[in-house]
Order: sequence, then structure tokens, then C-alpha cells
Amino acid sequence: MSYDIDFFYTLKGIDTLMEGLLVTLQLSLTSIVIGVSLGFVVALMVMSPSKLLSWPATSFIEIFRCTPALIQIVWIFYCVPMLFNVFLDPIVMGVLALSLNLIAFNAEAYRAAIQAIPKAQLDASVALGLNKIQTNVYVVLPQAIRLALPVLVTNGISIFQQSALVAIVAIEDLMYMGKMLSTETYRPIETFTVVALIYFAIALPAMYISSQLEKRLKVA
Amino acid sequence: MQTTTQDTPAFIKVRGLKKSYSETIQVLKGLDLDMYPGDRIVVIGPSGGGKSTLLRCVMGLENIDEGTIEVDGKPYIKGQGRTEKNAIDHTIQKQVGMVFQHYTLFPHLTILQNLTLAPVKSRGIPRSQAEEKARGLLKRLGLADKADAQPSQLSGGQKQRVAIARALMLSPELMLFDEVTSALDPELVNEVESVMMQLADQHMPMMIVTHDMWFAKNIATRVVFCAGGVVVEDGTPEQIFSNPKEQRTRDFLEKILHTENAA
Amino acid sequence: MSYNVNFLFLLDYWDALLEGLMTTLGITGLCLILGLGLGFVVALLRLSSNPVVKAVTTLYVEFFRGTPVLIQLFWIFFCLPLILGFEISNFVSAVIALTLYMGAIVSETFRSSLRAIEKDQMDACVALGIGGFTKIFYVILPQAILRAIPTLLSNSVSLFKESALVSAVGMSDLMYIGQNISSVTFKPVEMLTAVAVIYFLIAFPLTRSVSWVERKLIHKIAL
Repeated sequence: MSYDIDFFYTLKGIDTLMEGLLVTLQLSLTSIVIGVSLGFVVALMVMSPSKLLSWPATSFIEIFRCTPALIQIVWIFYCVPMLFNVFLDPIVMGVLALSLNLIAFNAEAYRAAIQAIPKAQLDASVALGLNKIQTNVYVVLPQAIRLALPVLVTNGISIFQQSALVAIVAIEDLMYMGKMLSTETYRPIETFTVVALIYFAIALPAMYISSQLEKRLKVA
Repeated sequence: MQTTTQDTPAFIKVRGLKKSYSETIQVLKGLDLDMYPGDRIVVIGPSGGGKSTLLRCVMGLENIDEGTIEVDGKPYIKGQGRTEKNAIDHTIQKQVGMVFQHYTLFPHLTILQNLTLAPVKSRGIPRSQAEEKARGLLKRLGLADKADAQPSQLSGGQKQRVAIARALMLSPELMLFDEVTSALDPELVNEVESVMMQLADQHMPMMIVTHDMWFAKNIATRVVFCAGGVVVEDGTPEQIFSNPKEQRTRDFLEKILHTENAA
Repeated sequence: MSYNVNFLFLLDYWDALLEGLMTTLGITGLCLILGLGLGFVVALLRLSSNPVVKAVTTLYVEFFRGTPVLIQLFWIFFCLPLILGFEISNFVSAVIALTLYMGAIVSETFRSSLRAIEKDQMDACVALGIGGFTKIFYVILPQAILRAIPTLLSNSVSLFKESALVSAVGMSDLMYIGQNISSVTFKPVEMLTAVAVIYFLIAFPLTRSVSWVERKLIHKIAL
């Protein structure tokens, strides 16, 4: 091997990487907050008896689940400004693209969770004289969130990783800064390794939490 | 009815059997039991009293803490402490067959394959011979047309009869039945119990755990009342059901028979 | 709206798109086969009692599941040649990266389907005197594979979608060709939409078939 490993330049550039990480975290966390809340709304729309609500919601979910995240991001970056004549801050565009993707996956998780609630629970609610809204709020929602939680956490981890794709449309996230730094310093091995380790160090605890949640759910 | 005397050597001899699932949960607390040739033992008792655990220990499914099990005077299983593995004679283990509450058929194999897997793959019996025996058994149990079906296509009663046939394929010297009718709908219980009665008529030695007292009375040569991890009382069906000596046995039978009459 | 949407020009480029699609499908197919094999072996190795084997395979799986596929791809494309001391083509880098990614997620699928086999089945094996080779190859593995099929199918859809990333190292797949044409023709809306529709037309039926296959298999193996 003719390449000498030297972390000096990469460590010198750690400030740059940290700036990038901040953007990555900002993108992921905002998308997660939006995805967790609007995902539930979309799931309710999908399950609504009104076709006017369920049809658009189902189409939205299928489109975002069945196309690569990369094309979603690129499409939103190039086509939204052209079609609608709006020019937003790149980070806002990034959040838009990632949130839409996450909403679709979370809506599916909520839907599966709601369907997994035994029908006897609904019968019991009727027998106890709860009305529809009371049943949804006190019986369905708490159980759906509990059942969906491990998948929601997993989806959150995925969106954190998918956020690296915004580097391709030149948003200055951790991935983008890493690519820049590696080109500037001619130190791809050190830089890309450090970048990968940063992603891993954040994802690992979250993956652990998700598997613990799943175990707890199985015991219950 | 009792075919045994104190002089006949025991077929199965269980001594000081202790089994715990953790530091604090001890299920068997030094259980002794003798099974003589020709015995059909039905084990009854409250849940958590150690009935199923006893059968699982005899099959060699559980690691016992202490105690010994002998078969025909030869050592079969010996406990060597809670965390140490049992000393177990696998040749003797092969002579024991067991049927479980939840059928445990292999879901990916047909009925015929379920029956022939162990004889062909583990015992080296030629496939044609095993298949012939399997078809014969299925015919006897009224399942001749199910040979090529998947387990999922069968009713619970049919699955349990297949499970019995699967165990019989290996010509066991002792059959263990662990609550084999508990998961069945009431109308399917009879078809399984009558197969077991057939085996009884052929003098198959059996150890049975059941909640069906009527069936217990009919099939048993001996009834063992097991509670708190030990054998509390042991006698002929007449003795146990009509004239139990121990207060705990009386309380238990009173409770169940009361519920059965009410139902 | 100042942009005139006109899908007709796509007709001039359909053969280029088709070529890109073939590259996408080729890479997906190749990495699918290699990844299934790798994932299966890794899942079995993770059950090993040897602590070193266990640690190495676990670290591999966790690392590839815990980092973005893009950085895995870049690492292999930019760093691996430096370590090896010779050039590797972008095709080889793409295949290595996507195979390692697929191997990691597939091994998790196999692992959880192995775990899902009830303890009852093991008891039955003891009671019937089935052990060793027969137990593994005739009882456990067939059930594990049957149970894994629906998830493996969705793993394949994920791989198909992730394959769009190879455009970032200059492979002329569907994504790359779509982006190129859209910048040459200044028609990104039509072009990128067309590319998205092509991806959708392949991924959607596959995604839908997952639940269908699931129902079929549950019927077959449920007890």
C-alpha cells in the first residue's frame, strides 16, 4: 500500500465536519418531528371511509414508498422552483423532501399498528358505551403509538441516513462537507472513515433503543 | 386392576427429582415415582404443580437440578446441578416418545414426510419401508387420505392424531402425552382420546397429563396426584377418585368435579 | 407558471432511458443474488459460538445498517483503490457496495426468521431423536427460508431503490441518464417525472406482492 494513513488533515477539518453534522441533525430532527405527527394524520386519512380522503393519501404513500429517495430529492430541488416559481432556502427544500418521504413510511407504520389492534377491543369499547371519538382517543391511539413505536424509531434512523443524499444537490450537510474535505486534503480514507464513524456513532444508540422497544413489545 | 407388586422391578424409577427455572422458581421439589411394567399412569393436579415438567424431564427436554431417572434398572438421566448439563443416555431416550399440547407438526412438510423424517434421516430406515409403515399407521388412525396434505389443512384433532402416529413410527417403549386434548375444541377431543384407548388396548406403557377426569378414570391403571412439586398421592383410579386419603387430593377433586358438574 | 410542460420530447430519448433501466436492473439483480448468499452465510455465522466470528459478523451488520449507503459507496469507490493499490471500475465499486449493504439487511431478515421458529419445534426434534445435520437442514432452515420470503422481497425492493445511488459514482443507470438528459434538454420536470414513474412501475407491483405472498405463506406454514 502506497498510501500513508494520516488523520492530521482530517482532524484539522473537524470544525467543517461539525458544521455539516449540525445541518444533518437539523434536517433529520425537523423531518422526524413532521413525519411522526403528519404520518398519523395521513394514516387516519387512508383509513377514512371517504374516498375523497383515502385515495389521495394512499397514492401519496405509494408514490413515496415505491420510488428512490434520491429521485424524490432531485425532483423537488429542480422541479418545484420551476413549476411553482418558488425559491426556498436549500435547507427548507431538504426538509420538505425528507419529511414527505418519512410521512409516507410513518403513515404506513401507523396504519399497520391500528390494524393490529384486536377487533375485540373495539367491541369492548362499544359494550362499555364509549362513543367513536372516545374510542379513538382512549383506546385506539395509545395502543397504535405503542405498537408503531419500534418502526417509527427505525424509520427515524433511516431518514437520518437518507439525509446524506442531500449532499448530491449541494446542501452542506455532513456528507457534503466530508466530500469537500476529502477533495481539498487529498485524504479520502481518513475523511470518509471519520464521516462514516460519526453517522454510525449517532445511529447505533438509536438502533439499540429500537431493538429494546421491540423486545418489550413482544413480552407485553 | 393393579398389575404390580412390590417385588416386580420398576420399569421407570424417578428419585429425588428437582427442577427450577430460576434461583427462586422451583417447580419439582424432590419428586419420587415408580412406574411398573403394564402401568398406564395419569398424572393429575393443579396447574403449576409440576405435571408437565415431570413429563418433559422424562423426555429429557429439561435440564434437571438434582435426582435420577432409571429405566429397567439402568441409569437414564442424572442431574448434576442447576447450571450443569444432565448426564443422559441417548439410547434410552430414543425409546421414549412424546406428544405435545400444540401438535408441533413440522409445518413445511406433508403428513407423510412428518412421519418419515425421523425414521429415515435419523434411524436410517429405508424410505420405502418407512413409508409403508406410515401409510399403515395413518390408515389405522383413519387418516389414510391425508398422507399428502399439509398440516395447515387439517383440523386440530387430525393434527394431534398425526402427532401420535409420528411418535409411534419410532416404536417407542414408553409414550408421554402432555395435555394433548387441552388445545382442542370439545367435539374433537373424543377422536384423539379413542386413539389413545386403542394404544392402551395394545398395552402401550403411557404417562399422561390431562384435565379430563372422565378419560383419566377410563384409561389409567394408576393415578398420580401431583402438587407443589411432589407426588402427594398415588393409587388406582378407584382409590383416588372415590376415596382419596389426602386432604389436598380431596380439595382438588372437589373443586374440579364441582365445576364439571356445574358445566 | 412560466414553465411549459411537454412530455412529447421524451419519445426521442426512450432508448437511452431503456439502456439506463437495463443497467439499473442488472446491478440490482447481481447484487440481489450475491447479497442473498452473503446475508445467509452471515446470519448462520452470527449464531456461531466462536466469540470472534460472532463479533466480526455483528459489527459488519451493525455498521452497514448504521451508516448511509452513500458513504459506503463513496468509501469503496474512493478509498478501496488506494488501499488495494490498483484501480477498480465504478461498476465493481457499485456491486461491492450494494452487495455489502444487501448482505447486512438480508442477514437480519434471516436471523429474525430463524428466531421466529418456536421452541416447540426443537422439543419435537428431541422427542423424535432428530439432531445435528437433519435438524438444521430438514427442520429449521426450510422453515426459516419460507418465513423470510416476504421480508426478502421487500429487501429486494429497497435494493432496487438504493441502486439509484450508483449514479453518484458515474454509473450510467436510469437515474444518471435521466439527470443527464434533463440537464442537456433543460426539461427536468418531464424527464425526472418519467424516471420516477419508471422506478414506480417496477417497485409498486413488487411492494404489493409482499402482502400477497405473506398471506399465501401464512396459510401454508401456520399451524
